[in-house]
Amino acid sequence: MSEMQNSNPTIINSADLPTRLRRTVPHKSSAYGSDFFASALPSLAVDTLSDYSPSSSGSDSDDDLMEEPIDEQEIYDLISTISDPEHPISLGALAVVSLPDISVKPALPGVPDSPLRTVTVLITPTITHCSLATVIGLGVRVRLEQSLPPRFRVDVQIKEGTHSTADEVNKQLADKERVAAALENGTLMGVIAKMLETCQ
Amino acid sequence: MSALQTFMLVVDHDKQEARQIAERIAQDVESKKTTLVEIVQSLGDYVNDEDPLLRGKAVSYLSAVIKALPPKFLTRQQVQVLTTFFCDRIEDAGAVAGLETLQKLDRFTKEMAEELAIALFENFNTLQSRAQSQRFQVYQLLNELMSNHRSVLHNMGDTSLVGTVDLMTGEKDPRNLMLVFSILKVIMVEWDISRHVELLFDSVYNYFPITFKPPPNDPYGITAQDLKDRLQDCISSTSHFAPHSIPALLDKLDSTSQNVKKDALNALIACINSYNPDTVSTHSITIWETLKFEILNAQEEFLSDLSLKALHDIAKRLSEGVAQIHDQLPLAQYLRPITKECNEQLREPQQKQAKPAQNILKAVSEASAASFTLIVQVVVAPLLTLYQGADGITKQRALLETLTLLFESAITVFGEWTTRSPEIPDENPLVEFKDQFSDIFGQALMGTVKEEVSFRISALKGFLRLSALRGYFHESEIGLFVQYLNEILLKEESEGRDDLKKEAITALAEISKHQPQLIMDITFPAFVATLPDSDEGTDTSYLSTLETLAQISVEKAIFETLVRRLLTKLSLLLQKEQPGSAAYPKAILLTIFYVMNQRKLEGDPNLEMYYDKIVVTLCQAAAATASGKSMSNILSDPTVLDILGRLCNLIVRSLPRAKQDEVTNNIYTLFASADDFQPVPLSQSPSDDRRRTMILSTFLLAGLPADSTLPHSAANMADLLADLVKLSIAETSPPTQLAILRHIALLVNKFLPKSDLGVANTLLNSLLPTDSTPASETTPETIKTVFWLSKALILRLAPTTTQILASLLSLLSSPSEQTSTTASRGFAILLKDDDILSPTNGANIRLLSKQRVFTTLIPLISSKIREINIQNSDAATTPKEHDHIKPAHLAALSGILSTISPTLVMPELPTLLPLLLQSLDLQAATRDSFAVRAATLQTLSVIIRENGVGVIEECGHVQSLVTRLLKTAEHNRSASASGGGAVNAPRLRVDALRCLYLLAQPPSAENAPAVARAGKLSPFLPVRSQVLRALRFVLDDPKRDVRKAAVDARGAWLRSIEDTEDDD
Repeated sequence: MSEMQNSNPTIINSADLPTRLRRTVPHKSSAYGSDFFASALPSLAVDTLSDYSPSSSGSDSDDDLMEEPIDEQEIYDLISTISDPEHPISLGALAVVSLPDISVKPALPGVPDSPLRTVTVLITPTITHCSLATVIGLGVRVRLEQSLPPRFRVDVQIKEGTHSTADEVNKQLADKERVAAALENGTLMGVIAKMLETCQ
Repeated sequence: MSALQTFMLVVDHDKQEARQIAERIAQDVESKKTTLVEIVQSLGDYVNDEDPLLRGKAVSYLSAVIKALPPKFLTRQQVQVLTTFFCDRIEDAGAVAGLETLQKLDRFTKEMAEELAIALFENFNTLQSRAQSQRFQVYQLLNELMSNHRSVLHNMGDTSLVGTVDLMTGEKDPRNLMLVFSILKVIMVEWDISRHVELLFDSVYNYFPITFKPPPNDPYGITAQDLKDRLQDCISSTSHFAPHSIPALLDKLDSTSQNVKKDALNALIACINSYNPDTVSTHSITIWETLKFEILNAQEEFLSDLSLKALHDIAKRLSEGVAQIHDQLPLAQYLRPITKECNEQLREPQQKQAKPAQNILKAVSEASAASFTLIVQVVVAPLLTLYQGADGITKQRALLETLTLLFESAITVFGEWTTRSPEIPDENPLVEFKDQFSDIFGQALMGTVKEEVSFRISALKGFLRLSALRGYFHESEIGLFVQYLNEILLKEESEGRDDLKKEAITALAEISKHQPQLIMDITFPAFVATLPDSDEGTDTSYLSTLETLAQISVEKAIFETLVRRLLTKLSLLLQKEQPGSAAYPKAILLTIFYVMNQRKLEGDPNLEMYYDKIVVTLCQAAAATASGKSMSNILSDPTVLDILGRLCNLIVRSLPRAKQDEVTNNIYTLFASADDFQPVPLSQSPSDDRRRTMILSTFLLAGLPADSTLPHSAANMADLLADLVKLSIAETSPPTQLAILRHIALLVNKFLPKSDLGVANTLLNSLLPTDSTPASETTPETIKTVFWLSKALILRLAPTTTQILASLLSLLSSPSEQTSTTASRGFAILLKDDDILSPTNGANIRLLSKQRVFTTLIPLISSKIREINIQNSDAATTPKEHDHIKPAHLAALSGILSTISPTLVMPELPTLLPLLLQSLDLQAATRDSFAVRAATLQTLSVIIRENGVGVIEECGHVQSLVTRLLKTAEHNRSASASGGGAVNAPRLRVDALRCLYLLAQPPSAENAPAVARAGKLSPFLPVRSQVLRALRFVLDDPKRDVRKAAVDARGAWLRSIEDTEDDD
């Protein structure tokens, strides 16, 4: 690999990255009142015969009715673990992608019932002349296209004012044929596959 | 033919025979039938023959005869003559062997040794052209000389040094090199090598790096590591090598091979640790300049770790004998460029390069008190200045973390409060910053907005390290920290995941190890004060308080106080007329149980007190409650009784035998007098409340030794068991019933003597339905009892195990759907780990019981299902009466699968796989289908993870498996909306996707060597596009967890299966 373009970027501590707070289970859910103590006890399943299926599936099927639509945090979780091509550090920790720069909007605002959605991701290169911005953009695009259902349109752009040749890069990222051609390139796909390896 | 001629004929092909000839001649010499002179003369012309082979054999003959002689036989003069003879012919095969025998003799003198050594060094110029075994013999001889006559060789000085180097130059065989390296090491360490340093160094360094790979099935057992170790010992043997070795090793760090770099770093570390400190000092800065790049631009973590170790070891060596710290110390000179570099990198501590700089500081500062002091002097003040001027919390946080690493070094150097090693006399250089640290960390912890959780956690961790550091903080300063922690736990609202609170609890628990008194004085009263006297019902904040108390009460003193206080609270609650809900006393009991479970009770001086106050008193109270003689009804709550039971069980197990016998007599009376409480077994229709006390009785029973003399069992247990079975069948309250069932199982499994097993079998048979039994009599309660009885017998592998399993299986084919379904669930009971009928409680659980059950049942279930499948296809048109039988068998199978270790499953896989696939087909046909499919997917995922796809491919089920998994992963909107048809609960969908993900994982290296896989098409190629297409739609699942699993599965299929395709 050629000389690193930015050898000493700022790194955000992983604990400070945005995460989804899991709904905390209310204390009374456990038969013994406390999750902590329940974990200290051996099994508390009282009776295999009568408790077999209904209790374990019951809560699930209740929840099943509640939809959890794809939101910005979910998009963020998909792309923040991609590694930077220069450092073995995630795009999230380098603040190349950040939660406020992601939006999920209906693709056709005029048709309220349409399930089509557009995901827009603005990426912030670590330095303004980073020649790898295109590769990063491409990586984000590939990851999202692999991971989102067909009704989602993906739009990846360089955040305004963060890159010297942003327009050029944006044009490249938006051009379907150029993206397709890039993905035929074995070396480039190798780099992208390596970036995506760390996705969890 | 003479002995010599026979010997020469056989020596090549029959070593045994040759040795016997030599031994015979040796005896002749001993008994003076012949003399050595005659033997030498008999060699005659052979020793002067043109043919080296003939000469060699002749000399071997002499060597063999000498070897066979007793060690003291030869006179000094004979030894001399023979030595000279052999030395003259040292190039002939056999002479070396003769010399090796001779040099071991007591009469072998120094002069002879020298003669031998000279002969060795002068005559083997062409050693490397000889066979490996001959070379080995020569080295062996030299090695023997080294150990038996080292002083002679040592006195020869340069002659032996150069001679040895000449002998081995060009050696390539690993077996010989092992020997050569160890000979050379002796010379390097003990000889005066000053005139030949480079020669000697080159003689070994030529072999660096070792690239040897042992041949497959290596017969000699020499590994590359053995060679590396010996070579490294040579390189690091003497400081004289330093001018050559250190630059050479540092050069090797430019290599592109990581293995070479690793060997070089390891050798460098060995040199640092063995060269004298002055030498290390000379090279220290050069080493730092080179290693710096390995750490700051680390390619591989292990290389950076080794480099850090090298820097650490240098600091350690340079600290040797340092009495007073000043600028001119070699150590100070070494550290100066290091601290300068680190200070520079740490100016922006949130950036990437700061991390390696922190690691360097940590590694070097923990090397010694001197090193720590020198570093603290120049590093801490700039860090504090940076902190004051830091513009953002990220930067501040990184600074706190850097300081915390230094605190950790301080702990390594000076120890914790609990460290037993003698205290370091040096003053801790951090002392002058004590107030500043206390301010900064306290401010960061308590004076920051609550949202900055991770920042506060960093501050907390730093503060905790300082509190643990031996002799640093004053008690009152740690007390302040403890108060902060109290405040966080008691006053602050929950924030997100409560990470800060969790850390605070951990911190208190750790402080309790160092300073239990502070916890007792500050935390304990504050927390106990918040515990209410009674439960008002709505406020459950006491729970988190109790949780915290339980976790910090690790130390003995705190533990004892906690138990006393809680017992007092509990007895107050029990005396109240209206004590509110049972939740509060239950939580108190749980807390006591938790802390007691964490400690070893055996030998606890308070055990008697716990026995009296908990087992005796509370059991009596429960008995009184059951007889309606108590004001409080807390002890009639089954969950309270359950926890009290567990607590009693814990205590009973640890009691001395005499006390245990006392418990034995009170299992059923519960320590109450006959007037107050009538025991349950063998009494007339006991009330609900009384029957409920069986929960306690069961726990008491479980804790007793197996040879206890139980009540009601004088002759045998038949009556007691029959009565309990009657009770369990009639029982309507599930907790009580479970207790009675466990009680029966304990009696049969643990206490019933082998000779009385018939009693249990008879009882079991009486419960099993026969053809004439009306279906209504086989209630679920009866079936439950049948399974628990069976469980008890099967776990101890009673002789009737096979029959029992067959009768249980026949329940599944019952025409009554209820019987069949209930029984199918019962199979999950059989092998399920139970926390009462457990090894801890001394249950009789044979190791092979699980395997036995599995291997007995699988063929039976499999053939039954095949039978049903055939019937169904034959009678496709006629209405099927017994639709429930097949699902019941599959449910039974899943019950067994969910309770055994997957390794047992593997050998039966070909039989099992079709059954598993059919289980996945079970849709909403029965209400158990969810559990069955969940268990099936669990088993499948383990099979796939352990064995990869190989087995499934061999059985030819790839396509059908993938199709079924995809079907299970589907979210069927219309079906769930209409409430009918196939519904896959989210967990099933996730599990199915997880299996798909595992399928696409590349097989782990050891399972499938790359060679075996290469050139083989992935078995998934035919289904790849089907999977990718189907998963695209699963990506739109309404549930987030399902989508996540789908993303992972799809990613795995895109990645790995495409790769295989490319390769071909």
